[in-house]
Amino acid sequence: MTDKANDNTADSCLPGGLIPAEQWAQPQTSVQRSLKDAVRHVLTQLQAGVSQAEEPFESMDDLPELSAAQQSRLAPEPDYSRQVEAIACSLKQARSEGALSREVVCLVAPPFSGLQQALGRFPEIGKPGVADSDGEGWSIIEPPHTLSFSDHDAGEWWDGRDLSRPWVIPELADFWLRSLSGLALVRELFRRIANGDTGPGIVGCSSWCWRYWGHYLENAQMSPWTPAAMDAERLGVWFSYLASGNGKSPVVARMTGDGLYVLPPAEAAEVEKTKGNKKRKYSTFLRDLAATSRGNPGVALAIWQRSLRAQPDDDTKLEEADDKSNTQNKAADCWIVPLGRLSLPSMPQSKESVTGFVLHGLLLHNGLDMDSLEAVTGVSAYELSLVLSRLKRAELVTCDQPEGRWQVTPIGYPTVRRHLQSWGFPLDQF
Amino acid sequence: MIEDLGIKAAFASITGQALLNALLVIVIASLITVAVQKVLPRIAEKLGGKPRLYLLASVPLLRLLIILATVVIVAPILVEPSFENMVAIFGALALALGFAFKDYANSLIAGIVTLYEMPYRPGDWIEVDGQYGVVRAIGTRAAEIVTPDDTVVIIPHNKLWNSLIANGNDGTDNLMCVADFHLEANHDVSRVRELLRDVAFTSPRTKTWQPVLVIVFNKPWGMHYRLKAYPFDPKEQFQFISELTARGSAELARQGVKFVSVPVSVS
Repeated sequence: MTDKANDNTADSCLPGGLIPAEQWAQPQTSVQRSLKDAVRHVLTQLQAGVSQAEEPFESMDDLPELSAAQQSRLAPEPDYSRQVEAIACSLKQARSEGALSREVVCLVAPPFSGLQQALGRFPEIGKPGVADSDGEGWSIIEPPHTLSFSDHDAGEWWDGRDLSRPWVIPELADFWLRSLSGLALVRELFRRIANGDTGPGIVGCSSWCWRYWGHYLENAQMSPWTPAAMDAERLGVWFSYLASGNGKSPVVARMTGDGLYVLPPAEAAEVEKTKGNKKRKYSTFLRDLAATSRGNPGVALAIWQRSLRAQPDDDTKLEEADDKSNTQNKAADCWIVPLGRLSLPSMPQSKESVTGFVLHGLLLHNGLDMDSLEAVTGVSAYELSLVLSRLKRAELVTCDQPEGRWQVTPIGYPTVRRHLQSWGFPLDQF
Repeated sequence: MIEDLGIKAAFASITGQALLNALLVIVIASLITVAVQKVLPRIAEKLGGKPRLYLLASVPLLRLLIILATVVIVAPILVEPSFENMVAIFGALALALGFAFKDYANSLIAGIVTLYEMPYRPGDWIEVDGQYGVVRAIGTRAAEIVTPDDTVVIIPHNKLWNSLIANGNDGTDNLMCVADFHLEANHDVSRVRELLRDVAFTSPRTKTWQPVLVIVFNKPWGMHYRLKAYPFDPKEQFQFISELTARGSAELARQGVKFVSVPVSVS
């Protein structure tokens, strides 16, 4: 694979590449949109006791949704093998530029960014020229089955892992539990990294977990890196890449209401413009989506998948939006419902702080099974099952079978984060 | 004397219609005040964090504004707003308040001072003269606090002049809690400090971005540890302290560190 090809992949799979975490900036949106979101959040809190919506995710239109096959073609899940190549490429570039000097790199990303899945495939690209491994293969460090360790046992466990050769931890959150005996493994790992007792390695970590350990180890300076936030432009590039892949014709997506263009991204359209096409009018949908999802690709993709429709509701408006003289304007492959006509899942009414404990615990550990959740929150299994079933009905959490691992859903993440912020819980930085 | 002050002249122009209008304004103002005092705290209860505190703190300020607006509207309705009339009316009011309602007036003035000095606001956890609780409402004359045992204590604002007022969170949602541990001597102090710090960090109620501190004192009877941390919500403080104490005690017992117990004499 040539460097140029790598760059192209990186541009599309990981728009914006990797950046130092302190340079991360949330995508901007209009003041009108921010105010609307804030008012909606306050109203949601006030209405929580008045009405309880049965529909977790409400679409205020009756347009036909895409079939599963169409959806998987137009908005498929990302190919993490490509993404990990982009990460490796970005790391290599940062090293060559001298921006990365440490042997162990910490990569931090908010949940649903796909970092864990991508890093889990790191050994697959351990080929010369791709990763900075000098031909040595990278090995994945798997977490132990039980996470309760004394300091001594934690030291012995790490002694049993070969950290002298290149190693990858796809998700650090799998190595600890917020309980007195659940901290030892990560504490010992950071001690070894700080002492320089390990070879080259990559530590992937969820942003919530990272924030916690940043507070716990107040003197540790790990200088983490993170994928750049997905702003409107990057989302456009990424969605186009997902739908079109390499070599296929670009997907055209337009708003159902006014026919304004969403895809292909404006930059790609500029190329067509130079070929003689008239300039297209673009919707602010991607900008609003980037702000709503806080630049989180997984969340943006989940909302994007929900907003796809097979056909618009008012053809006449679309005809007006199209320049009739412009015969080269093609019909859309899919249509997009405005964000204002989709409502994200809402938080069920609860005066107890138990809901906050559960959701915060799930985010902190990137998902937990029932027993671990009980240990982390101190809430009884019976009460947990009641809370979890309510949150599941509200589409805020989901249970992965057969492991029985509970997780926050990508579509529910913005609501969950905002409520945890309102309730005063510690948040991540993204 | 009334004539000397010009009161009679000031009120000479009051008509029945003017009285009715003034009464109507006062009734409307009272209704708005009651609505503000009832509705805003209810809305605040549904909101969390800082918006709740800001909304609660705005209640007495809004009430003051309504009272001022009512005075400004009512005075010209009743009397001609000339300099002499104003001096006469306010002079008479000052005399009446000074003689008959000295303490009441004292509290009223202190109440106005509390609105801009803000030694306490609704939602604050305060201690005045040994009474600890959350400020539920700030009235014209007194503040109401609710103790942890769900008892309402009325605290006249004139306590402001001569009492020490301790405010736990001072208008924010950061309230430090302290869990005390009294242990026998002859143990690894560093290890116990680390362990107690972990107890706070592993609590689901801890604000981990705020400092978590473990202070230790050497006493004649042993070691006194104070674990200080912030709960995510001041309302959770008692649950938080209980949880820290229970989990800390269990872990210390597991590590073989013994507590000091003082013999109790029964008379």
